Amino acid sequence: MPEDKKEIVGYRQQPGKLDFTRPGSGGSSPKSEKRDLEMIPQSQGGKMGQPWGPHRHDNLVTGRIIGKRTPLIDSRWKVTGQAVYGDDVRLPGEIIGRLVRSDRHYAKVLSIDMTDVESIPGVLATATGIDAPSAFGVLPVTKDEHAMALEKVRHIGDIVACVAAEDEETARLAAAAVRIEYQDLEPIFDMRDGLKDSPDPIHDRGRYHIGESNVQKRVFQRFGRISDIKNSIASYDNEWTFKGVNHGFTEPHAVVAHWDPRGRLTLYTPQQVPHYVHRALADVLDIPMHQINVHRTYVGGGFGGKSDPFPHEMCAAILARKSGRPVRITFDREEVFWTNRGRHPSRISMAIHADKEGRFSGIQTDALIDGGGFASFGHVTTYYNGVLHTAPYEIGAFHYTGARVWTNKPASGAMRGHGAVNSRCAVEVGIDHISEELGVDPIDLRLANLLPPHSATITGFRVTSIGMRECLERVRKESGWDKKFRRMPLGKGIGVGCGFFISGSGLPIHWDPNKFPHATVHLKIDMDGGVTIHTGAADIGQGSDTVVGQAVAEVLGLPMDMIRIRSKESDTSPVDLGSYSSRVTFMNANAAVSAAMEIRSELIEAASLITGVETSGLVLGDRRIFNKKDPAVGVSYLQALHKAQEDKGALVASGSYRTPPMGKMHKGAAAGLAPAYSFSAYVAEVDVDIETGRIKVEKVWAAHDCGKALNPLSVEGQIIGSCHMGLGQVISEEMQYGRTGNLLNPDLLGYKIPTVHEMPEVVPIIVESNDPEGPFGAKEAGEGPLLPILPAVCNAVYDAIGVRNNELPLTPDRLYRSIEKACRQRGIKDPRDLPNPSLELTSLSDKLIRRAKDHAKRDRERRLDPNPDAYYNGQLFNRHATGPPEENDPNWTVQVLPDQEYLENPKLAGSAWLHKERRHMEGAE
Amino acid sequence: MASHPLPLAGSPPVEVWTASVNGKQVQTIIKSHDILLDVLRDGIGSLGTKRGCDMGTCGCCTVLIDGEPRLSCMTLALEAKDRQVTTVEGLSDGHHLHPIQEMFAECGGSQCGFCTPGFLVTSAALLEANPTPTRQEAMDAIEGNLCRCTGYQQIVDSIMSASKILSEGIQNKPITGPASDPDPGFGG
Amino acid sequence: MKTPAFEVHMPKTLDHALEIAKDLHEGGHDFDWISGGTDLIPNYKWGINPKSHVISMSGVSELEGISTTRIGAMVRLQDIVESSVAHPLIVEAAGTIASVMIRRSGTLGGNLCLDTRCFWLNQSETWRKSIDYCHKCDEGTGADCRVIPNQNELCVATYQGDLAPALMCLDAQIHLASHRGTRSMPLEDFFQEDGITRNVLETGEIVTHIQLPENSADFIGSYQKLRLREAWDFPEGGVAFSVGVSADGSVSTINMASTGFESIPRKHKELIESLDKGPNWALEAERLGAELKRAVRPVLNTWFPPAYRKKMASVLARRAMEETSKRVTSG
Repeated sequence: MPEDKKEIVGYRQQPGKLDFTRPGSGGSSPKSEKRDLEMIPQSQGGKMGQPWGPHRHDNLVTGRIIGKRTPLIDSRWKVTGQAVYGDDVRLPGEIIGRLVRSDRHYAKVLSIDMTDVESIPGVLATATGIDAPSAFGVLPVTKDEHAMALEKVRHIGDIVACVAAEDEETARLAAAAVRIEYQDLEPIFDMRDGLKDSPDPIHDRGRYHIGESNVQKRVFQRFGRISDIKNSIASYDNEWTFKGVNHGFTEPHAVVAHWDPRGRLTLYTPQQVPHYVHRALADVLDIPMHQINVHRTYVGGGFGGKSDPFPHEMCAAILARKSGRPVRITFDREEVFWTNRGRHPSRISMAIHADKEGRFSGIQTDALIDGGGFASFGHVTTYYNGVLHTAPYEIGAFHYTGARVWTNKPASGAMRGHGAVNSRCAVEVGIDHISEELGVDPIDLRLANLLPPHSATITGFRVTSIGMRECLERVRKESGWDKKFRRMPLGKGIGVGCGFFISGSGLPIHWDPNKFPHATVHLKIDMDGGVTIHTGAADIGQGSDTVVGQAVAEVLGLPMDMIRIRSKESDTSPVDLGSYSSRVTFMNANAAVSAAMEIRSELIEAASLITGVETSGLVLGDRRIFNKKDPAVGVSYLQALHKAQEDKGALVASGSYRTPPMGKMHKGAAAGLAPAYSFSAYVAEVDVDIETGRIKVEKVWAAHDCGKALNPLSVEGQIIGSCHMGLGQVISEEMQYGRTGNLLNPDLLGYKIPTVHEMPEVVPIIVESNDPEGPFGAKEAGEGPLLPILPAVCNAVYDAIGVRNNELPLTPDRLYRSIEKACRQRGIKDPRDLPNPSLELTSLSDKLIRRAKDHAKRDRERRLDPNPDAYYNGQLFNRHATGPPEENDPNWTVQVLPDQEYLENPKLAGSAWLHKERRHMEGAE
Repeated sequence: MASHPLPLAGSPPVEVWTASVNGKQVQTIIKSHDILLDVLRDGIGSLGTKRGCDMGTCGCCTVLIDGEPRLSCMTLALEAKDRQVTTVEGLSDGHHLHPIQEMFAECGGSQCGFCTPGFLVTSAALLEANPTPTRQEAMDAIEGNLCRCTGYQQIVDSIMSASKILSEGIQNKPITGPASDPDPGFGG
Repeated sequence: MKTPAFEVHMPKTLDHALEIAKDLHEGGHDFDWISGGTDLIPNYKWGINPKSHVISMSGVSELEGISTTRIGAMVRLQDIVESSVAHPLIVEAAGTIASVMIRRSGTLGGNLCLDTRCFWLNQSETWRKSIDYCHKCDEGTGADCRVIPNQNELCVATYQGDLAPALMCLDAQIHLASHRGTRSMPLEDFFQEDGITRNVLETGEIVTHIQLPENSADFIGSYQKLRLREAWDFPEGGVAFSVGVSADGSVSTINMASTGFESIPRKHKELIESLDKGPNWALEAERLGAELKRAVRPVLNTWFPPAYRKKMASVLARRAMEETSKRVTSG
């Protein structure tokens, strides 16, 4: 016993009572492992190379777990069938809820008659819209959803009423017995019709309504030297059509609501964003938030499709309240498609221009997106379709007009690669076209136009780390690009595409980041030595529990088996914004690192007290803290822990993360703002059956810059999985609407997700650009990797058969149609006689290669420079410029409202600006 | 043609349903038209067997009937009466994971995990019949199972790794055994 | 999802099954046969023409058995795929059906009697109500056809079985049984134009087996299938082609049949008649393909648009002939 501990009078000390020699320091290995110097950065005396320079977390690296292939912490539950998903929550007395859905596209609900329902034995509760009239929605600015229809139904499948009964058969019978009287309204299905004035706009935004139209959101952005576009020598200008796609997660939505005997509600739901449901439930049920516990179950796939607060979640809570019994609602697959929130069907006009120096003098994009019946995340999507292609290339001018309209179809929303996927595809195909016009290799063209590290994009995004160049170089080398591009026989082709995506969203939706952090993580360690991590981050299969656990394990020098995660319940988890916008690794692991640092310093201090070694001389190894100079002198983790616990019991710590101040001030400047960005480049090799139009993607080389792969197993899983999902959108997946406006394929036979046979071999290539602010250098890897596969395949198809396309998915019938067209244009009868595209390099090619070389040197210097000069997009065009171009270039435009000149001849989506908001109309207050 | 909201006719006959589920003799009362998946999940409580599409196009509900992978969402319970049904819960002996389970965890074969039970029983049946499949054979065996997370590649990796374990006769470490847990001294 | 309630009957013998059918029919009860269930159960879950009784043939072992010339109706599709005695053309066609998982449940009989499909039909009750139903499952409304409106005479739902064209190319006879007795006919005569009736089966009648001619081993052929994905998807068009090769190497018979284009599969005798059976038959692949394209009449009710399916008919036919020719040459 230390001498400074006085015996407490009145207590009999127990001589001989042992300290905690058992159970020891935990972990399944009996011996403390030696520090693996290969996993310790050079900056700390280890052998791990740091070609991208040191990182602020280097001194926290214990070499335990970061960077090692780590099985998901919850995988044993999953492989034994013990993981509890939404429909697996079975509570005593649980009954079944069933939603009554509209069979009308667009109609006023005149009456709802429950007479027949109430006479059915076993029916325990019914509800309609008037039971919960409060509006909700995922974004506070666009709350336009209700638990059930209040006055109108907006698409087939919209919820009108709900019933609960003892069993599923009775519930289905009861739902079918609800009699609803409708008055049909004129529906619209074509997004172009949404731009027009309508006698019955699908929603009414009051004073803020845009004309009498169905325009929900419109964006106008014009930046840079617009006048220089006319000096271009090569241009791509094309109108693209993208069909809507669905997340296609395997687990249909399911929810269980239970009001406990204290009158608190627990909602069990497979949610990506439990906190937003928490808020929405409080609004809709009119109870305080502390009366609700949102319990996230295991989530059988999310991809953005389980991130809105949903009407069915409200309905379950309402039915449970009315019946006094736990209520479970599980969707049929068809209902999943009716709930949708998938990628917006889009019409995108994309123009890209290059000048004689082979620089991108301008990108002009006009994106009309089809929002379906509700706003969902659409406000953000409307911005993302433009602003997320302002990088990785330096551009001379950027002009974006976007509009999102309501139509009488299931709501579109956020889906993996949110808002960036479609326009990115058009951009990358455009660059492929331009490189052909310029007579240069498309990879050379890209390499000569990349933004450097620590630079600002044209709209003011702050790019810190950027591994785009390395991604391109790696895929070029590994795919054997230089030997294959434009050199393969007709029908075989190779193509390249790049991607750029946010790693977390700079602005939390619900609050000022200066007031509350983006993410908070709590740690608790008690005598047993195991670490309990409380986080609200929703593990949806991407491995967020694992990565947060890894961060803590790394900092504390512990094996993963000593880490346990409590992330499921809002009662015990700190508030978290949830799993969307690729924020979890960046934000939650950062928060976890800062919480773990607190515990770590307490442990080191305790170890210092025991060993007498100064804290600065101590290092953490595997469950052991020891003298750096004499490793034999040290204490076990548990000894240090118990010492640290002496005065206060369990160690607890809280860490949080918030983004630094960044971005500009113009309207919409926050959309797309992120603390870091990921980059990726893919090369795809395809085999096109020129007689049927069928595409077989043979192999994909997929390089992704994730900053630092905290768990390479997961990063590779995300890359390959992204390829699969993107492949679906490019070759087969679409939500097909028929001539009546009905969704024709709300099932997994008609909705064509690629099978194992369609899947190419994917070679995942991880590029680690060491982000200065990411945890241990990490950035996102979940969404960005989806982007490049679409253009890479499109460009490979062109390389294979010399036919460009502008409609996705590129199903055989569509591709065949463009093959036929190409044959007609060339007067060829048999498609097998089509000419194979070839490449003839011009003198510009050498120039670009030289510039790329110079830039590579520039980038290497900048990334290692702790204080690089500011670099603003535009310096490529005016190399003597310093400072933001809008401040020193008189020809530099910054414009977020259209001028009269534009309105005289607007593009499709831009025509949304022809309407006036009601509040600006004559006679408005 | 008939007009009939569900259900069609009055009360259907009920029957006593018996089968061996995961080696255990079970008995429950079912309705004549009950589907095996419903009986397993709601009657037997085998919640590891998942309902993905309910229409035979995702494979989440796959179980082994007499050792053969079958879609339980398309099988009349009565047709599986008195047969051997194995679900994902029956792959492990409670102490050791089946190598295919271990490898799905190790090799990234399971991300969100919802399709995993179906893939596991399908793969286990493949390895039972063909302990050393080629990658192509493994892909052919799982063509009826849908995975939205992994892009299948790490699933095939998992199957190949499990095949290696099985063919080399390596026993998995028990998951229930006491982990060695002493004070870790210096070095090792 | 739940199917509407029905009573399952599980006979152990064919006679018993036919007996049950007779009793149900005479008692005024509707019923369906169920073999693998992969077609019937999804339709029942969607509430499409369910019956109050279902006779399961899974226990009737006399409908099993597979030999070079006979395949029982209850032989499962995957067993055909793995069979060493079944004709290679049948194995090839069976191997393209849906997924291995479906093939382990689905049977020969079920595949031949596959219900016709249409995207206005194969949908849930709520969905179909939103279009006021359709002719094939009108729920008592007398609804019109949604594919070709203003005619409620004919159902144009598409037949999408893969085995029928392959079997037709082998001159298969189909054998039926009911309590009134048995009968058989060339497979092409079994199908009967209309998406609702589909075939000549009478109430209480069932397919028992397929019989191939003794010389079927002399047939060499190929089946070409149009679909988006290599698993799960029904044929958007399928063409089988075969030639009977005599011992002296000369071609005695030529057959071509198609599926997935219309409400029934068709054997294209009239097209084949124009073909010269001489050694140069394969040179006419291009012409025959073009003729098949003209002969088929797909409608807009499957995944691919009909114009594309029609054009692909010629590619499929040509490829089936070329592949057959290759196989003949390589012996």
